[in-house]
Amino acid sequence: MRKFTTSRRGYLAAVGTSSLVGLAGCTTGGGGGTEITPGTAPGFPPFEFKNDDNELVGFDIDLLEAVVGETDYTLGSWEELEFSSLIPGLQNDRIDVIAAAMTITEDRDETIDFSDPYYNADQSILVASGGDFSPSSLDDLEGRRLGAQEGTTGESVIQSELIESGQVSESNYNAYGSYVLAVEDLINGNIDAIVIDQPVAQTFASQRDVDIAFTYETGERYGFGVRTDDDDLQEALNSGLATVQDNGTYEEIRNEWFSSA
Amino acid sequence: MLAGSGSPVPLQLSDWVFVAENADYLLAGTALTILLSIVCVLVGFLVGFPGGAVAVYGGSVSRRLVENVGVVLRGTPIVVIFFFTYFVFGTPGLDLGFFEISPEFVAAVLGLGLRSAAYQTEMFRGALQSVDDGQLEAARSLGMGKWESVGYVAVPQALRRSVPSFQNEATIVLKDTSVVFAIGLSELLTRSYDLFTRETTATLEVILTISAIYFVLTFVTNRGLDYVESVYRIPGGERA
Repeated sequence: MRKFTTSRRGYLAAVGTSSLVGLAGCTTGGGGGTEITPGTAPGFPPFEFKNDDNELVGFDIDLLEAVVGETDYTLGSWEELEFSSLIPGLQNDRIDVIAAAMTITEDRDETIDFSDPYYNADQSILVASGGDFSPSSLDDLEGRRLGAQEGTTGESVIQSELIESGQVSESNYNAYGSYVLAVEDLINGNIDAIVIDQPVAQTFASQRDVDIAFTYETGERYGFGVRTDDDDLQEALNSGLATVQDNGTYEEIRNEWFSSA
Repeated sequence: MLAGSGSPVPLQLSDWVFVAENADYLLAGTALTILLSIVCVLVGFLVGFPGGAVAVYGGSVSRRLVENVGVVLRGTPIVVIFFFTYFVFGTPGLDLGFFEISPEFVAAVLGLGLRSAAYQTEMFRGALQSVDDGQLEAARSLGMGKWESVGYVAVPQALRRSVPSFQNEATIVLKDTSVVFAIGLSELLTRSYDLFTRETTATLEVILTISAIYFVLTFVTNRGLDYVESVYRIPGGERA
């Protein structure tokens, strides 16, 4: 699958108009029947992002590839959508499975189904390095200016734990289209802290002048999303997931993407 | 993002080098942006101009239809329109034999093109209405039919007067192409996000670069249409 992605990317880069060509055959309804189209939302390293050669890579990408490799399904080429487009895309058959660091929530569970959890989605609180602000619990964030990426678990932590309780006013919360912009604002001093998925926080802490102040355990888990009527695929993914967790492949992939961070 | 109370973001040479190294990646996105803009403005014109004519000269039923469809399209956010064209209607791809057009591209053209058509309908409606009724009466008195007099007398005058608002619409479509990322097309803005997600220190450099590209594109569009306006203006007469 990595190779396939590479060649497709390279081809598109050469042609120059990404997605204008070459995607026609990869949506569902094709003859094969067992080929599934995965969808993700890049820009969330190390889970899914573009590498130096502008190929789609990451933990989710490799893990889903390994999991599907243990099933009777084959993986088609990846569809890259906005995070908020993934569930509509799934419901309308544009994609067949979501692998996008998606937290299993009750709300989402009402519209789609999830595989067994494959990752713990704890949240880290990022602050600027060398500053005098070093919170150690959510209570320390009272009255502070906070940031998160729209639609993420970090945002819902801020909303449900801090804004609803009145500790932080709505106007002191900034929502960003990308965590990169939030980190930029943090370094510039426009906000005091960011709530962000822990591994992504580690990536930023290793690249920019930001530190993880503390980690807030949410008890939330990531799962692969499938349509509610797609029980066969859901079962196949679950058994595939169990297999890669038992045979050490999961550890390997995890170490590859999270050890350096 | 730029003005902070803390330390400012320095522009770094290494980040400009990073942008330069990925110039081809941004250029591919630029090509898609240009292609989408041209096709969508054209679709908007081909649907919007007749729409404007119907809104002014059409019968009561056809007029109401154009008005109502226009109200819906103009009153709906573009992302929602994409959701309908791409997810709900499930636009198929087009196979032109030598060339395949992806479903995403078709959905983007339908969404942006039809919304532009709704705006252009209003534009052309206004321009056609600005042509004095006496002109049409004069044409009819010379024995021309209704649509003949519209086509030969009102349309040429209205088109001239439409150029400034058409300029505006073309640049709006150009910038709105950035919304197509919602349905998976990676144009210029999406590609800039890809780049500064990879090299997070280069955010400002990447944004400045694509801003310059958008500026050049809108500048060229506007100057091109200025030229069209000057060529077709009535010599010695009204400039509009």
